[in-house]
Amino acid sequence: MSIRDKIPHIPEIHVESNLNLLLRRAKENRTVDIEEYETTGGYSALRKALNKFSPEDIVVLVEESTLRGRGGAGFPTGRKWRFALMNPPPRYLVCNADESEPGTFKDRIIIERDPHLLLEGMIIAGYALGAKEGYIYIRGEYPAGYLILENAINEAKERGYLGKNILGTDFSFDIKVYRGAGAYICGEETALLESLEGKRGHPRLRPPYPAQSGLYGKPTVVNNVETLSNIPIIITYEAYFMNIGPAGFYGPKLFPVSGKVEKPGVYEATMDITLRELIEMAGGVKGGKQVKAVFAGALGIYREDELDMPMDYSPKGFGGTGTTIVLDEDDCVIDALLVVTQFFHHESCGKCTPCRVGTYEQHQILKKLKEGKATKEEVNYLKHLSQNIPANSICGLGFSAPNAVSDALKKFSEEIEAHLKGECPVCFNRGD
Amino acid sequence: MKYKYLTEDIIQKIEECRGRFPLKEQCIIPALHHILDKHRDIVPEAVIELSDYLKVPVSHIEGIVTFYDMFRHRKNAKNHIRICRNLPCHLANFHSLLEKIKEKTGADVGRSSSDGLWYIELVECIGSCGIAPAFLVNDDLYDGSKIKTEEDLEKILSKYR
Repeated sequence: MSIRDKIPHIPEIHVESNLNLLLRRAKENRTVDIEEYETTGGYSALRKALNKFSPEDIVVLVEESTLRGRGGAGFPTGRKWRFALMNPPPRYLVCNADESEPGTFKDRIIIERDPHLLLEGMIIAGYALGAKEGYIYIRGEYPAGYLILENAINEAKERGYLGKNILGTDFSFDIKVYRGAGAYICGEETALLESLEGKRGHPRLRPPYPAQSGLYGKPTVVNNVETLSNIPIIITYEAYFMNIGPAGFYGPKLFPVSGKVEKPGVYEATMDITLRELIEMAGGVKGGKQVKAVFAGALGIYREDELDMPMDYSPKGFGGTGTTIVLDEDDCVIDALLVVTQFFHHESCGKCTPCRVGTYEQHQILKKLKEGKATKEEVNYLKHLSQNIPANSICGLGFSAPNAVSDALKKFSEEIEAHLKGECPVCFNRGD
Repeated sequence: MKYKYLTEDIIQKIEECRGRFPLKEQCIIPALHHILDKHRDIVPEAVIELSDYLKVPVSHIEGIVTFYDMFRHRKNAKNHIRICRNLPCHLANFHSLLEKIKEKTGADVGRSSSDGLWYIELVECIGSCGIAPAFLVNDDLYDGSKIKTEEDLEKILSKYR
């Protein structure tokens, strides 16, 4: 009996890849068990890591790979590891599986379809960091993923890949899964640690950084699912990893594409792909219509003429989690902003007043704007808030919450004008 | 203290959790999940019982219950339908799906149906934007774009009656 018979229902999500690295085994909607994982080359990277490399060698390999955190911030993983290694043990490794940004559904594909890839990456990372324990913090809305991971951990323990004296070496490592309960903020690494310690998920003030004082006050590395899943690939390919993708942003990346495209789904590509190419990969805009706007990166909003930028972490790239939400000519940007600001207002943890109140104010003004009742002063206030929320908040949620609003103010001024005059063809002709 | 909500099986699961994690506070969220799974609701009495069992202040547990969206004090029905209202599902017109579900179940957003079977909640992104509009019935995830007719919906809902 496969694990799929014992867990909640998961429907088919479209997945496509020409690279066959992260999604090699994950193209179909099923869970790869340890048997199949081993016969398709699984755990050979762990074997290689333990037999051939010292922990220091692995950290150097990851540093040289230029691997960047795939959770959105794009911080170099090797550097994060190096910071943690500067602090004395015990050290902890935490996998951030709390993906909940609107439009992001890439990590669930790895968790639900190829869980051993993540586990292998975590075990290698644990070895490199001198950690004895790793935690996976999975969001509460992925009950199937939670059970799949628990099952995969047991499979790995039975075969000696986890637990005491892994593969006969003196390295011991254990992984525990912890389920969240529906708070977007817990994807922020310090809020995640608070939640993992059994508290409300309020972000911590930094410094100290988690690499200095994280879980239980000990040095902790928090990495995203996709980041850790890249580790076995780096160990397998070593210097050849630098042949995958553009300089400085090597390695495969998953791009979740949704909204008005023909084939929404998760696409694996290198980071030199442009947003336009990505939309084409997803079958183009639904019904052959025109792109009006795209929410991409850290939920910024982009115009049709900006789609030729690459999906990398350079200042000119989109960065973020790789999220792409496409709006076509029949959608209204203000209407979409209304949904996004409602989300941030709902998910603000309430610790910093500018974020807690500012996101609410933005939402209220946009509501009026959509109805054609806002004034010019209120739109200026919207701009003021877009600068002040990030400037006076302590975590990534506050930094990125007004991204879409400030982008829209700059790039879609004609839509805002139309709403001020009550003339938006989408909102006012539909009768809502 | 005699427990009504912390049944034997839940206590056993809490003990398992205690063996796994070093802090007793780390058992709160898992315990609340178990209470929710079994009783479909987290009532104040359950919070008091858990506080008594774990020797953690009621305020701390209450703080967690109110912070995390999945743990609200509400008298829930047998089945909990969560419909995503975030951007990709908004673009895929979750409103029309909501109307269909409302009609079929007799429940409304934030209100149980009179037969006590259904409760509807609009939630933020559930990480299923590739199958928008997505919705969860209890722990099972479904692709709303596949629901074209009333029969399609009935096929799903009939499993939970």
